[in-house]
Amino acid sequence: MKSVLQHTKIQRFILSSLSFILLFTVHLSAQNGDAKKGKGIFNANCAACHKLDKKLIGPALEGISEKRTKEWLHAWIKDNNALRASGDADAIAIYEEFNKMPMTPFPQLSDQDIDDILAYTDNKPEAKPQSGGGASSAAALGIDSLQVVKGKKIFNANCAACHKLDGKLIGPALRNVADRRTADWLKAWIKDNNAFRASGDADAIAVYEENNKMPMTAFPQLSDEDIKAIIAFTSHEDILTAKAPTVAGGGEGNDGIATPKESTSWMTYIVLVVILLLVLWVYLGSKNEFLKLVTTIALLLGAGYAGYAWMMSIGVDQGYKPIQPIAFSHKIHAGDNKIDCQYCHSNAKHSKLSGIPSVNVCMNCHKSISEYNGPVTSEKDKAFYDGEIQKIYKAIGWDSEKLAYIEGYKQKPIQWKRIHNLPDFAYYNHSQHVTVAGLKCQTCHGPVEEMDEVYQYSELTMGWCLDCHKKTDLKLESNEYYTKIHEELSKKYGVEKATVAEMGGRECGKCHY
Amino acid sequence: MKSFIKIITVVSLIATLVSCTGEKRERQIQYMGDTDMYDAVPYEAYSKVKILPNEMEAQRPVAGTVARGKIPYDYPNSEAGYQLAKDSLHSPLQLTKANLDQGKYLFDMYCAICHGTKGDGQGTLVQREKFLGVPNYKDREITEGSIYHVIMYGRNMMGSHASQLEAKERWQVVQYVEHLRNELLK
Ligand code: HEC
Ligand code: HEC
Ligand code: HEC
Ligand code: HEC
Ligand code: HEC
Ligand code: HEC
Repeated sequence: MKSVLQHTKIQRFILSSLSFILLFTVHLSAQNGDAKKGKGIFNANCAACHKLDKKLIGPALEGISEKRTKEWLHAWIKDNNALRASGDADAIAIYEEFNKMPMTPFPQLSDQDIDDILAYTDNKPEAKPQSGGGASSAAALGIDSLQVVKGKKIFNANCAACHKLDGKLIGPALRNVADRRTADWLKAWIKDNNAFRASGDADAIAVYEENNKMPMTAFPQLSDEDIKAIIAFTSHEDILTAKAPTVAGGGEGNDGIATPKESTSWMTYIVLVVILLLVLWVYLGSKNEFLKLVTTIALLLGAGYAGYAWMMSIGVDQGYKPIQPIAFSHKIHAGDNKIDCQYCHSNAKHSKLSGIPSVNVCMNCHKSISEYNGPVTSEKDKAFYDGEIQKIYKAIGWDSEKLAYIEGYKQKPIQWKRIHNLPDFAYYNHSQHVTVAGLKCQTCHGPVEEMDEVYQYSELTMGWCLDCHKKTDLKLESNEYYTKIHEELSKKYGVEKATVAEMGGRECGKCHY
Repeated sequence: MKSFIKIITVVSLIATLVSCTGEKRERQIQYMGDTDMYDAVPYEAYSKVKILPNEMEAQRPVAGTVARGKIPYDYPNSEAGYQLAKDSLHSPLQLTKANLDQGKYLFDMYCAICHGTKGDGQGTLVQREKFLGVPNYKDREITEGSIYHVIMYGRNMMGSHASQLEAKERWQVVQYVEHLRNELLK
């Protein structure tokens, strides 16, 4: 009885997802079919100066073909200079209105390309409501976003090691896998793919062969509900991105790392409290003198060790993580978006300091990126991140409505807190380590691209500097500077390679003078 | 009374324990922290200095002065300046492998995030739909002069990259952009 029920539920689910997809395709085809291509062309050629719903450098283009004729638009886009020269009044008027800012001509666009663009500007809904509308129609069809969230969790825990939604990893991409396989097939496969193959299923054998007979783990522990949730996730992941704030606000902490960390620190508390209670019991409750003596010695040793550790930490700021004036995240910039460290820390290649980027560097991107659309958590939602970006504009005086710097604005420096800071008596130079030695930033600063907030990863003690100098070989090849020194060094030490220390990287005067 | 003391001890010990975790938002104390062996007497880079404009140590060069080793760039930041640079500005560098390699190294660092490593306008930010409208170099009529001008001042939505690159490095990047464009035009 139960399995029958299950069956119909799954069928209903598939049906509903199918009808959802169908609905969506109908929706799209009503838009002339080319809007999608048009979006690509628009993004590549026009988006630098135009948005659909807002003035950028040029005017907003949503619904432009209601304002102008098709012929006019073709002529304008292909060569607006020629159109103006031909004396067209509209063309001249719009040019004057925009302070005679010339628009690039696009003779390389074909008529078809331009029609595609116009299809896109007329039907702007294509991009946004896809997810928004998707979410509401998904809700109407009874697809539970909680189920999708659950599916995501199970997927990330069990499958993500080998599968991604888009793009092959070890196994094939799983987005919309329900479109190519039935629910029963998927259930059988996920629970035990070996047995399923052994049963002679042709598809199962084919996909196994296609992936070089790479065995997939069997998951007998997953319930039918779990598998349904996974399928819901692979088919409707887009709801999550559309409704991320509410989903996260619903108490589902998708911050998988934070939780275990906290629980481990609570574990240590509990252990410590138990030890404390034991000690108290020994002193106050027990009559055994020997036990008291042993405990006293143990406590004294412990205190001595703690005191020593505390004194050794004087002046060592490992782990220091101050609150910065803008919640600038290296994880988002250098990690997710893969911006090179030296794009911002551009002094590292030539100078002692790496430097903190001045605001004009931020503005290279943030002139255009005024809103945050990445993943959010329950503490940090979109409004929080948008507010942080606004702080850049406040510092430099940028009007994000008019897209211009405000004239006569009194700019305020952003007061970043310095984290890494050697005492004044030690000399350390980035260019020597980054450009000459070719060291990666991460060797000393740790996985910065994973840090939301930067902290000091290394101790920055003298022992730390010298350890590395003793261990690291010089990069002698392809550096003319070293040809002579290299000869001398290899004569002196009778070796081909020389460490930094052998070149003199342990002499006091190299770092203290 | 005795049990009262016990309770107080336990509670306060737990309170101390709980209070010592969490993030390290303050610096450790420093041995002889206030002496000038630790804190520089001269102004440290980027530090706050009360007497300077905007209370910043980092100041721009005084108007009309030229820092050693820098070459002033006289083309104005305008459409006319762009056209002038396009027609009349030429690279002082020779086309060599060393220059091209350095150009590639710098291009991948500073430009590829938007323009893509091939110069086809498909950098990471574009693919992630964060920053749109980056052109393919082959669709633009650009010359070495105009590329240099665009690095100096930016153009439309592209910002200036002059503060991140020195004059020679800009020319190396220009050389590499021209190389990419020729590859794309093939
Ligand atoms: C150890 C790596 C690994 C893990 C973990 C893994 N898979 Fe797979 N999966 C594969 C490989 C490899 C294939 C390709 C078929 C084969 O050779 O076994 C595959 C195939 C599949 C297929 C068939 C795809 C198609 O195109 O028909 C589905 C569905 C699937 N996996 C779902 C899952 C789910 C759901 C999970 C998590 C519960 C999971 N897999 C976990 C490696 C893995
Ligand atoms: C988008 C610009 C940008 C990028 C890219 C970037 N940073 Fe930063 N970095 C900053 C800013 C702004 C600060 C100051 C605020 C802070 O400490 O979070 C900073 C601070 C730092 C600090 C701490 C400085 C101090 O005060 O001691 C380190 C170390 C650092 N970055 C290393 C890196 C590394 C390594 C990478 C590459 C993985 C990188 N940064 C990429 C902008 C950037
Ligand atoms: C090379 C491009 C680039 C540069 C340079 C850059 N950003 Fe960003 N920034 C981004 C992108 C991309 C995002 C993410 C937007 C999204 O996901 O929708 C972002 C997001 C942000 C956010 C919101 C997320 C977060 O990190 O808290 C802040 C704040 C921010 N940037 C501040 C800065 C500051 C300050 C600087 C200058 C030191 C800077 N950015 C320089 C590209 C850049
Ligand atoms: C050999 C180790 C090492 C490497 C490699 C290294 N750093 Fe540093 N970094 C340091 C030390 C030590 C300090 C503290 C310097 C001081 O206080 O004088 C520091 C300080 C900084 C600071 C803050 C102060 C400043 O110099 O502006 C930033 C930002 C920074 N590093 C970024 C980077 C980046 C980006 C890279 C990679 C291009 C990098 N570092 C590579 C050791 C290193
Ligand atoms: C990750 C390894 C590493 C760390 C950590 C490191 N260095 Fe170095 N250091 C090198 C290398 C490699 C060279 C050689 C560069 C070259 O080829 O000239 C070098 C060279 C130097 C030199 C020049 C030596 C000479 O004889 O010309 C000085 C000075 C120096 N480091 C200072 C420091 C200080 C101060 C610290 C600690 C704050 C430090 N280094 C930490 C790897 C390191
Ligand atoms: C933040 C993204 C971004 C970065 C980084 C960037 N560009 Fe651009 N670039 C653009 C955009 C957007 C345009 C289109 C501007 C327009 O509308 O004319 C452009 C246009 C250009 C053009 C064509 C301008 C013309 O004359 O038509 C050149 C040449 C160029 N960039 C070179 C570079 C070089 C060299 C670098 C690295 C130093 C660089 N860009 C870095 C976004 C960027």
